[in-house]
Amino acid sequence: MVWGPMIAVYLFVAGAAAGSYLTASLVSFKYPGGVFTRKAGRIIAPILLAIGLLMLMLDAEAGLRNPLRFLGLFANPRSVMTIGTYIISVFMVVALIVAVLELMGKNVPRALDIVGDIGAICLAGYTGFLLGDSLGVPLWHNSVLPPLFIVSALTSGMAIVSLIGAAFDYVEFEKMGVLRPIHIVLAVLEILLIVALLVIASGRGAAGAESVAMLTTGSLAPAFWIGVVGIGLVLPLAIDLFNMRSTKSEASGEALAQTGVVVGGFLLRFVVVSAGVMMVLL
Amino acid sequence: MARYGMMIDTRKCVGCFACRVACQMKNTLGPKEGFVHFEFLESGTYPDVSSEAIPMQCMHCADAPCEKVCPTGATYINEAGVVLVDANKCIGCKYCMVACPYSVRMIEEISGVVEKCRFCWDDEMGGPNNPSCVATCIADARVFGDLDDPNSDVAVAIAANDAQPIAGDLTEAKIFYVR
Ligand code: SF4
Repeated sequence: MVWGPMIAVYLFVAGAAAGSYLTASLVSFKYPGGVFTRKAGRIIAPILLAIGLLMLMLDAEAGLRNPLRFLGLFANPRSVMTIGTYIISVFMVVALIVAVLELMGKNVPRALDIVGDIGAICLAGYTGFLLGDSLGVPLWHNSVLPPLFIVSALTSGMAIVSLIGAAFDYVEFEKMGVLRPIHIVLAVLEILLIVALLVIASGRGAAGAESVAMLTTGSLAPAFWIGVVGIGLVLPLAIDLFNMRSTKSEASGEALAQTGVVVGGFLLRFVVVSAGVMMVLL
Repeated sequence: MARYGMMIDTRKCVGCFACRVACQMKNTLGPKEGFVHFEFLESGTYPDVSSEAIPMQCMHCADAPCEKVCPTGATYINEAGVVLVDANKCIGCKYCMVACPYSVRMIEEISGVVEKCRFCWDDEMGGPNNPSCVATCIADARVFGDLDDPNSDVAVAIAANDAQPIAGDLTEAKIFYVR
């Protein structure tokens, strides 16, 4: 497929930026004491997105050689990529302002934060619709991919923020009880969406079946089963459920779970991008 | 204004690649670059078998997915229905390559720009300049012209052979195949 690992990295970090921002918003709203977690989310969001944009530019060679051409990205509102450019522009500006306010120790106005939240939701959503506009690729051209990427964006962002927040102040982090059930719900949803994606794609002709075979039994099977399913979903879920039952959680187990979510989140984008197979119309 | 299209008769095509090479020469493409590529289809069971060579190139879709997804507007459809790329606007994001269901777009190695068949459109002439794949075809498998003129060679040939786009009405393609 013409889109490769760089696009996978972009889809992952853009989604994670959105998820981080939303997590920080939730924390600032519900847990005023969760200072490190909130700061982590607000500062890391624009950084992640910037890394993603760099990937996009490196992948677009003709633009790289003539950078002024990138201004053209605003030109065609019927293109999901152009819509994404609008979203990124708004979100990036808000996220940067919020990060700077946070760094200066100033309060972030609620109205501004809400604009950022809306931008973040749009950002996570558009990464799913970007691949969906490819008529000839059954694995991408379906209605399951956008919600799957949105869910994964939320869990990835939440995990990155939790990882940093917990590292700085574990006692405070443990008080944010709502994060764990949210993750459990999202992870279960993600499993269902992945199953749906595989079922739908396998019923869409030879190209779809080939994609599914690549993921489940072919060259991408290790990354899919061990990475996406095992490390990214089953392991964190198991640790979550275990921690829910005991009164006190282990910092190391928590860190393992969150790292697993991040790794799995990236690998999900990687295998979905890599397993895209174009149908041959004859 | 005319509305240009083509008919390709795969029953006549021998798979010699002359069209691909002529196109490469006309458009100064490298040996591995090409606006025309071939699909080969084998069917039947021994001893009752047949094979078909199917030349593929941009179908100049009226409902072109590549044009819809192109963020910069580099891909556009001109007044004669020919789908073209403005190389000065292309950033090389490859979204069009992902969107085109016929996989007929390619990256120009030197510039990073995504290109494809342009029906030999010549801006100075304001029309197609004798498409080289048609001119060179040894088997007369290709017919080109104005689809809107019922007396044009291409319109007559399409009607006579009941030629159809390769994927039906998927994208309102303007290359019609006889198979
Ligand atoms: S065949 Fe492909 S490149 Fe040509 S107009 Fe259709 S979608 Fe675009």
